[in-house]
Amino acid sequence: MALNTVGFVIRQAFVSLKRNIWLTIASVLTVMTALVLLGFSVFFLANTSNLATVFESQVEIAVFINDNQNREQVIDLRNQIQVIEGVDTVELTTKEDAIVQFQQSMGTSSLLEDLGDINPFPDKLTVMATDVSLVEGIANQIADMNGIDKVRYGQGFLENLIQLTQWLRWLGIAVVGAFAFASFLLISLNIKSNVNSRESEIRIMRLVGASNAFIKWPFFIEGMLLGFIGGVLAIGIVGAAYVWFLQYMISAVAFLPIVADQMFIISVLGLMLIGGMTMGALASVFSVRRFLK
Amino acid sequence: MISIKNVSKIYSNGARALSNINLEISKSEFVFLVGPSGAGKSTLMKLLYREEEATRGQVFIDTINLSRLNAKQVPLLRRRTGVIFQDFKLLSTKTVFENIAFAQQVIGKSKQEIKENTLYILDIVGLSRKKDSFPSELSGGEQQRVCIARALVNQPQILLADEPTGNLDIENAWGIMALLEGINQKGTTVVMATHAMHIVNKMKKRVVKVEEGCIVDDNLGEAY
Repeated sequence: MALNTVGFVIRQAFVSLKRNIWLTIASVLTVMTALVLLGFSVFFLANTSNLATVFESQVEIAVFINDNQNREQVIDLRNQIQVIEGVDTVELTTKEDAIVQFQQSMGTSSLLEDLGDINPFPDKLTVMATDVSLVEGIANQIADMNGIDKVRYGQGFLENLIQLTQWLRWLGIAVVGAFAFASFLLISLNIKSNVNSRESEIRIMRLVGASNAFIKWPFFIEGMLLGFIGGVLAIGIVGAAYVWFLQYMISAVAFLPIVADQMFIISVLGLMLIGGMTMGALASVFSVRRFLK
Repeated sequence: MISIKNVSKIYSNGARALSNINLEISKSEFVFLVGPSGAGKSTLMKLLYREEEATRGQVFIDTINLSRLNAKQVPLLRRRTGVIFQDFKLLSTKTVFENIAFAQQVIGKSKQEIKENTLYILDIVGLSRKKDSFPSELSGGEQQRVCIARALVNQPQILLADEPTGNLDIENAWGIMALLEGINQKGTTVVMATHAMHIVNKMKKRVVKVEEGCIVDDNLGEAY
């Protein structure tokens, strides 16, 4: 395409947006609404998934060692557990550490003396698994080892937790999927009807000898611009709303883990813009193609 | 210049529009296609700018066989054939100047060339003062003159006019005919489909009469 033609095609797109102002406004608002819904659903997914991960990361296996095991045997047990498949970390809390921690938490320093120098705490290994679904298997393997008194990992609760986190993740994915589909449908239907209303314009262009590419390009650019403007507005709304939500949650329900990673937030907003522009451009070109056969 | 050989056209719904048409039109000729509504005049015109394809037979413009043109070659044909329509077919969101400029932009003319050509042709059709108006702001006669200007701006060898005076009053119709006559005298072949018998009878040009998809008469300069 010659340079003056490229310039004409780009100018053409801008002029057309201006002259079909009501169609432009309707399309921009549709793109914006669709992207706002999509953006909110992505943040919903991110937070449900994050919540699930946080819940899962807090599942640990507490392994209590028999009192008859000496320190060397305890360390040996720790090493054996460390090599079990699926074990991430094993942390030893000796009985001495345990009583000190207990004293500190109770605000007393004479507990051991009060107990007649008998330390009631056992040595304890805190085992973290690489995946929450492996916890039960690891715990069973540890329980079968010699020198182990008791293994606790929240039996019963764990099954419920896994179910809950999986449900949360699926819910998030379903919400994003549904909104992504609805957004695509909304944007493409709107742009389609925008293009359809200009059918006679396209037919006239063909009659005066415009090539298909010459007709398609301004529509492609128009679609992209509609997506861009709608996307920028959507970014403003979703960005501002999420920042407000973050601040509110931090001050009101601080214990709930909310996704606050700046890079992640910027990436989601950026993808919304790219998504809007891509959907706008593609819907536009596909709609025009119908009249160019 | 134009050669139509044994052409028949049957539409996809089974309607037969043309039956075994043969027609030769020389360079610089002015030919009227006449006949009642539904006779096949418009279909014949559409074959000439490849809006429709012949079901049987062949249509040539110079040595180009229109049935053999692929989709990419059709725009090239249309750029050398000016077409005028009864309903004008102007781009409603473009000004008069832009409508005429568009036909040149599609063939990649420079900005300067487009401006010069457009102002020149607007002067010929007497619409210089309306160059910034939109089609909806013009009368029927003015819109048709814009349509003629657009058809002529790329200096086509053939001008096809499908009922160009159909929506105009007598005064405007004669204005358009004067323009077409002038264009023809400069060497452009003009083929015009019309119902306007008063125009056909006064112009004394070749008259091809079409009825029920067949050519039933072909007279040179006789009253119809």
